[in-house]
Amino acid sequence: MGPPEGVAKLSPLEEAIAAEKVGGRLWFYSNYHCNLQCSYCLTESAPLVKRRELGAEAILARGREAKALGFTGFGMTGGEPFILDYMPELVAELGRELPTVVLSNATLFNERRLRELEPLAELPVQIQISLDHPDPVANDEMRGPENFRKVVEAVPRLVERGIGVRIATTLEDPDAVDPDQRDRLCELHRSLGVPDADHVVRPIINRGRAKSNEMGLLAGFEQLEPELTLTADGAFYSPFAPTVRGGRLDTDLLVSRTTTPVSAPAGALLRIADQLPAGHDASIGIR
Amino acid sequence: MSVGPDPSALIALLDREQAPLLTRRFYGDGPASPITASLAQVPELLEVALPFIAAALGPAGLDERIKEIAILRTSALLECRYCVQSHTAVALDAGLSSEEIRALRGDGDIQRIFTEPAERVMIEWIDAVALGRGPIDPAVRGRASDALEDHVLVELTLAVATTLMLNRYCTALELPTGAATLERLAAEGLE
Repeated sequence: MGPPEGVAKLSPLEEAIAAEKVGGRLWFYSNYHCNLQCSYCLTESAPLVKRRELGAEAILARGREAKALGFTGFGMTGGEPFILDYMPELVAELGRELPTVVLSNATLFNERRLRELEPLAELPVQIQISLDHPDPVANDEMRGPENFRKVVEAVPRLVERGIGVRIATTLEDPDAVDPDQRDRLCELHRSLGVPDADHVVRPIINRGRAKSNEMGLLAGFEQLEPELTLTADGAFYSPFAPTVRGGRLDTDLLVSRTTTPVSAPAGALLRIADQLPAGHDASIGIR
Repeated sequence: MSVGPDPSALIALLDREQAPLLTRRFYGDGPASPITASLAQVPELLEVALPFIAAALGPAGLDERIKEIAILRTSALLECRYCVQSHTAVALDAGLSSEEIRALRGDGDIQRIFTEPAERVMIEWIDAVALGRGPIDPAVRGRASDALEDHVLVELTLAVATTLMLNRYCTALELPTGAATLERLAAEGLE
């Protein structure tokens, strides 16, 4: 039986998104290089690694294709996206199309960059900033010197400009976290102007540098939510998928090398999602 | 044979652990062939190429013996080490004799060893397709047209053309022959 008269029929992708069979957010890996070198980084990002830059024009074009196909949001990650000069304008362009979240370490937000970010306040855009521990020493152990100070300085400056901010805390085992540590972290993000609703806690995933350092949870595709993720190297199953270890890109969760037309990797992702066992419940698909 | 990362290799052959999701069904129970493990680098190509290769080179209207004659002969003419070695083993499985295999590899008199008239015409056709440039020599064309049905010519020509593609692919990408195949060829005196 078709849809009632006057109601447009959903495409298979739209149906899958509506049924939460695949995620509605299309992720981009803008680049792989970063000013930090975190101990649990999925992509072995660091200042001098291969950049693997996707490019502003490619991201925007694929984003517009994705919107037409029925995707409902965008995510941007890396590497550190804001190491790229064009990122504030690109994020604004994406935000004019669909709700967008950008993952950032927030350590590059000087006055000039903050001014460039101001248009985001009028758009459905959130910057998701990593903050792992309420103590500077413990936080910086994993994320690098001065990280804590830079984050607690940057967050209120974004908030006061009306820019959406989320705090992401990445932990070896979120269920085993010391309650006192958790409470102090939550007090900290509240004091910075970020409410509990915008605080996400996620596990370290045992891929990339975390795997080399024997950290985190094992994650196969059965544990991850299918969320199409485009990189300079192709389309992947999830933003946790295009990882790098020993300088080599992991291909176990590669969907296709083709990233445009977006319908090609989206169709391939749907075929993979169709193979997921009944009752599949992605348990660690928090980003 | 291990198809894991080899730092000296031109390209990485993806082992089962690194095989992309949509390619895993092509890996089977044992080690993947280097063609599978290399094509897995581009899943959307593997998904169409492997079924095509299997159909073009496997038995259809022509039986396995004729297909292996086409593959081995073409590979020998193109000097593809990987294809000659791996299809020497397959040709043995298909029932070709060591003498026939040597002749197809250029070490023996084809006319003396292959006495079946239709097979002789087919080998002449294989040589003309594999080595020629431009149209097939009219005399060869005439003999093939007289002796072979249209569907045989089509299937044989596609087998040669597909082998040509694979010869260049395997040679350019320096695909390694498996240790088990090399051991078997040594045991048969067909290194």
